[in-house]
Amino acid sequence: MSKRFNLRAHATRILTSVVKNQQSLASLLPYQPEILSSQDQALLQELCFGVCRWYQRLNAQIDMLLDKPLKAKDTDVKVLLLLGLYQLEFTRIPAHAAISETVQACKQLKKASASGLINAILRRSQREKEAMLDSLNKKTDYLYSHPYWLIKRLKQAWPEHWQQICAANNERAPMSLRVNALRNNRADYLEKLNNANIEAQASPFSQHGINLEKPTSVETLPGFTDGQCSVQDEAAQLAATLLQLEPNQRVLDACAAPGGKTCHLLELQPQLASVTALELDADRAQRIHQNLERLQLSATVVKGDASQPNEWWDQQPYDRILLDAPCSATGVIRRHPDIKLLRRDDDITELAKLQLQILQALWPLLKPHGILLYATCSVLPEENEQVISTFLKQQCQAKILPFEADWGTPGAVGRQLFPQPQGHDGFYYARIQKQP
Amino acid sequence: MALLPILEFPDPRLRNKALPINDVDDSIRKLADDMLETMYDAPGIGLAATQVNVQKRIVVIDISEDKNQPLVFINPEVEVIGDGFEEMDEGCLSVPGFYETVQRPDHIKVRAQDRNGETFEIEDDGMLAVCIQHEIDHLDGKLFVDYLSPLKRQRIRKKLEKIHRQRA
Repeated sequence: MSKRFNLRAHATRILTSVVKNQQSLASLLPYQPEILSSQDQALLQELCFGVCRWYQRLNAQIDMLLDKPLKAKDTDVKVLLLLGLYQLEFTRIPAHAAISETVQACKQLKKASASGLINAILRRSQREKEAMLDSLNKKTDYLYSHPYWLIKRLKQAWPEHWQQICAANNERAPMSLRVNALRNNRADYLEKLNNANIEAQASPFSQHGINLEKPTSVETLPGFTDGQCSVQDEAAQLAATLLQLEPNQRVLDACAAPGGKTCHLLELQPQLASVTALELDADRAQRIHQNLERLQLSATVVKGDASQPNEWWDQQPYDRILLDAPCSATGVIRRHPDIKLLRRDDDITELAKLQLQILQALWPLLKPHGILLYATCSVLPEENEQVISTFLKQQCQAKILPFEADWGTPGAVGRQLFPQPQGHDGFYYARIQKQP
Repeated sequence: MALLPILEFPDPRLRNKALPINDVDDSIRKLADDMLETMYDAPGIGLAATQVNVQKRIVVIDISEDKNQPLVFINPEVEVIGDGFEEMDEGCLSVPGFYETVQRPDHIKVRAQDRNGETFEIEDDGMLAVCIQHEIDHLDGKLFVDYLSPLKRQRIRKKLEKIHRQRA
C-alpha cells in the first residue's frame, strides 16, 4: 500500500503532537520523513506557525461554530478545523482550495467520517463570518490570541502596554543581523547587502545591528559562511556592550547556546583573557562550536549546569558574568508561537525559582568590582525585576549598576524591552556589581 | 538484501492466490527482509509477497512516520470487530500514482506469525487496520481497484497500460 502525501494531513500530524503531546515545533519540524520541495516546506512551516500564532483566536471561532464539543480522541479533527480556518482568514490560498484540501486530509488521516463536519463548519464560517464578528469581538482570546493566564499576567504587569505586547507577539518575526566587527564595519556591510539586492537598514539601538526588510535564507547573505555576519535579534545584541569589556578579562557566558552573545563578546573585545561558554544541553553546546568555527573565534565551551558550579568551575573567578537565564520566552513569542500552547501558568513561578537559584550559584564566581549582567527574553516582572530585587535583598555585596539607554522602559531595577513590530524582541537586562 | 521488482496492474500474476507458509525458516526471513527493503525504497507503507511475484502468505508493513517500526505478518488472518466502516484514500505500489477512496471495516483483529514463527495478535482501528486488509487482499489476488466502479477501474487500467507501453 502507498500513501499520497497531503501537506495538510502532515501539518495536522505535527500540530496534533504540539496540542496533545506538548512537543515543540522546533523539535518536530526538522524531521520530515517525506522529501518536500522547498515550496512545500515553506507552506508546511507557514501553516504550523500560523495555527499556533492564532490558536486562541481560531479556537474561539470553533467554539462558536460547533454545536457540541469534539471528543478528546478527535484532537486531529480539531486541528484540521484550526488549519482550515487559518487558511481562510490568514493566507492567500483560495477558499475553495483551502476547504477541499483540508477535507481531503481527513481521508488521509483515516477520519473520513469527519469530512462532512469539516466541510460544513468551514463553509459556515465563510457564510456567517459577519454575523459572528459582533460576539467574537467581545472575546479577549479572539482579539488578542493569547492564553488567558498570560493575558491576565500581562494586564497586571503592564496595564498600559499589554495590548501592544500581544499585538507584537502576533506579528511575524523580523530578521536582524549582527555585523562581525572584526571583519567589516556596518556601513560597508549595508553596502554589500544593497549590492545583493537585500533591503536593509541600520538598527536604531545596536551599533552592530542591521534590520532586514524581509527575512531571507542565510545562504543569500554576503559572506555569511565565512563569518562576516550572524543572525541575531537586536535586543540580544545589547548584552555585549552592557558588559563593559576590557582587555585581559575573564568572562563567563552562562546558558550560552547557541552562542550568539558569546561570539559577540569576542568580536567586540578580541583581547579578553578567556571566555567560557557554559551550556547544559550537549546538542545545543554543539551549536556554540559551529558558530565559533564559522566566525573563526575561540572560546572554551563547557557542558554543565549553571546552578551547580562545583561540577565544572576551575576555581578562577570571573571579571564578567553574562547570565542569559532560562525563562518563559514570553518576549519572543513571535519567533516561537507554540509557546502559547506549551507554556503553563505554573511554569512562571518555577522559572523564577530557577533563575534566582542560578544567580545565587554564580555570584561567588564573580571577582570584587566584577559585573554580572542578568538577561531574559521574558516580559514578565516575576522573572525579571522581582528576581533581581529579591537577590539584591539577599546579597549585601550586590549593588545594582544603573545604565543610560535610549531603548526599553526603566523599572525599579533594570530595563525592560517590549517586542517591537519590525524591531527588537522582548528582553530584560539588569546589571549588578560586586562591592569589595 | 535485495530490491525485488514490483508487479503492476493489470499484470495477471497479481491475481495469483498465495499459499500458506508451513516452515518459517531462513529463506522466509530473507524474503521478509528483501520485501521490507523493497517497500521502503518504493516508498510504501505495506507490501504483500504477491506483488513481488512470490505466492506465499507473507506481508510486511511499516506505517510509522519515521519508518522504524517494521512489522512482518506470516499467514495473517483477519477478524472484523463490530460493524463500523471507515473510508480512506488508498494507493498501491502495484497501481502507482492513483489514489481512490475505499470503504473497509473500521476495527479489526489480526492473528499471524512473526519472523520467528511465533503467533501474535494485533487489534487496531486506525491506519494499520486499513493497511493489513489491503495487503491480505493481495494474497487473495485482489486489488483496491476492484472496489471502484468498473468505469474508474477501466480508466486506471488504460492509463497504466499506456505508461507500460511507453516504458517498453
